Amino acid sequence: MSDAKQRAALLKRLREENAETVKRTQALLKEQKKVQQLICQNIREKSKTVPEIAAAVDMPTHEVLWYLTAFKKYDIVVEDGMCGDYILYKRAEEK
Amino acid sequence: MENIQVDALVVGGGIAGMQAALDLADQGCQVALVEKEPSIGGKMIALSKVFPTLDCCSCITTPKMSAVAHHENIQLYTYCEVQSLAQNGTGYISKVLQKPRYVIEDACTGCRQCEYECPITVPNAFDSNLGGIRAIRVPFSTAVPQIAVLDMETCLFCGICEKACPADAIDYSQTAEEFEIEAAAVLLSTGFEITPPDAKKEYGAGELHNVIDGLIMERLLAPTGPYGRILRPGDGKEPESIAYVQCAGSRDETLGVEYCSRVCCMYAIKQAMLISGSLPLADITIYYMDIRAFGKGYEQFFQNAKAMGVEFIKAKVASIKQDENQNPVLRVELMEEGSRVEERTHDMVVLSVGLLPAYNPQAVYGVPVEDDGFVDIPAPNASPCNTNRPGIFVTGTAAGPMDIVDSIVMAGAAAAEAVAYIHEQEPAGSVPVPAYAD
Repeated sequence: MSDAKQRAALLKRLREENAETVKRTQALLKEQKKVQQLICQNIREKSKTVPEIAAAVDMPTHEVLWYLTAFKKYDIVVEDGMCGDYILYKRAEEK
Repeated sequence: MENIQVDALVVGGGIAGMQAALDLADQGCQVALVEKEPSIGGKMIALSKVFPTLDCCSCITTPKMSAVAHHENIQLYTYCEVQSLAQNGTGYISKVLQKPRYVIEDACTGCRQCEYECPITVPNAFDSNLGGIRAIRVPFSTAVPQIAVLDMETCLFCGICEKACPADAIDYSQTAEEFEIEAAAVLLSTGFEITPPDAKKEYGAGELHNVIDGLIMERLLAPTGPYGRILRPGDGKEPESIAYVQCAGSRDETLGVEYCSRVCCMYAIKQAMLISGSLPLADITIYYMDIRAFGKGYEQFFQNAKAMGVEFIKAKVASIKQDENQNPVLRVELMEEGSRVEERTHDMVVLSVGLLPAYNPQAVYGVPVEDDGFVDIPAPNASPCNTNRPGIFVTGTAAGPMDIVDSIVMAGAAAAEAVAYIHEQEPAGSVPVPAYAD
């Protein structure tokens, strides 16, 4: 068996052995992708603050900030100045 | 099973453990340093600045982390836990569990390609869970060693990290492995934890997003922090009014923490000064019972904070609730105004929580703890680093609450005690004598 086939077989076996973890993580990934799409769509055209984004996507402000912080770490969103006491966030340029 | 023979085993890679390991190694001892986390550095590497000098914590800790990793007399074992310890003549033999990283240590270059490609985001413990990090990641930017670790509890086994890795370092089939360390002496430097956020129901039990603890504020103040500035975790607002509540977890019989944690007054004052620098227009209030500024330069530091405009109010905070704008509302008994009770609203509250022991060494090391949970020291005045077992020493906050200065001093003392013990046990000439001894 080739290296690639062996690796694929190992991953398949691990997914079967860890079916509960995979199921839980798939649900988490689905949720995270949905939120990322929602937030990023919202700030693609216009920079917004956390309360503005939270109101637009109907999420609690602390959760929006948590996601934005994670997105900023991986260059998915960037800061775009301030509006009053709040930072403005916008979608980073997509590569 | 692999067997490693050293003069001293240091358990815990925080500032005390690192300093003890370096002091032992500089005196010619062979040292094994075992750390349960994927990186050494302990709590200190996550802090912003130290009091009273306001030196950068990272600038002090990172060179020590690097020195530990590169010292010819130190063998570093991260992501490992001591499972058992048995007497071995006058020394000890320990079984150590190497937890799997699912990454081949010798192959990983720390390039973080796997981290960037991983699709799953999990709470970032290094940033007090204020932001996210990927399921496979290098723990933080200055981690030592710079090796990725995969969290199998949130893995999809999708193979993306394996494809992204240019060094073929991902190994999903890794398992935990045991090895033995034989050592003449053991140093416990297992550190501290803080009062859990849900401990004080009257302070919101961890449910109020804009009521944080001192360690979270350290991350907000650190240049590498989650937001890169001070923001309220509840909604991202830049706070204009910040309050500190002292003794929020220490000197509190209801929590079973009757002792003073010794660092809270000074870290609150330090943070207040740093906030004044970052947010010059912010009002900072410290509600305190009494200020304990006992160390060298600490009283002057306290006076400087007052001169900078930090407001100190002698008061007891009965409860914290929040208003409709997520502002914490404190019910305060003002001690210097005839115990008048008043409600005061701030943008954000920092609880100066207490220090608790992180680990009970009784089961593994046969070393008892005192009523407060910290390691029992039978002769604290004569031999402050000696436990009840010959050859097992304690240092840093495993022994009790103390600041960084005292931790470093105690680490040096524990290392000196350990070297003396090792020399007593070994035949003359078997342990190298440092060159400067002549």
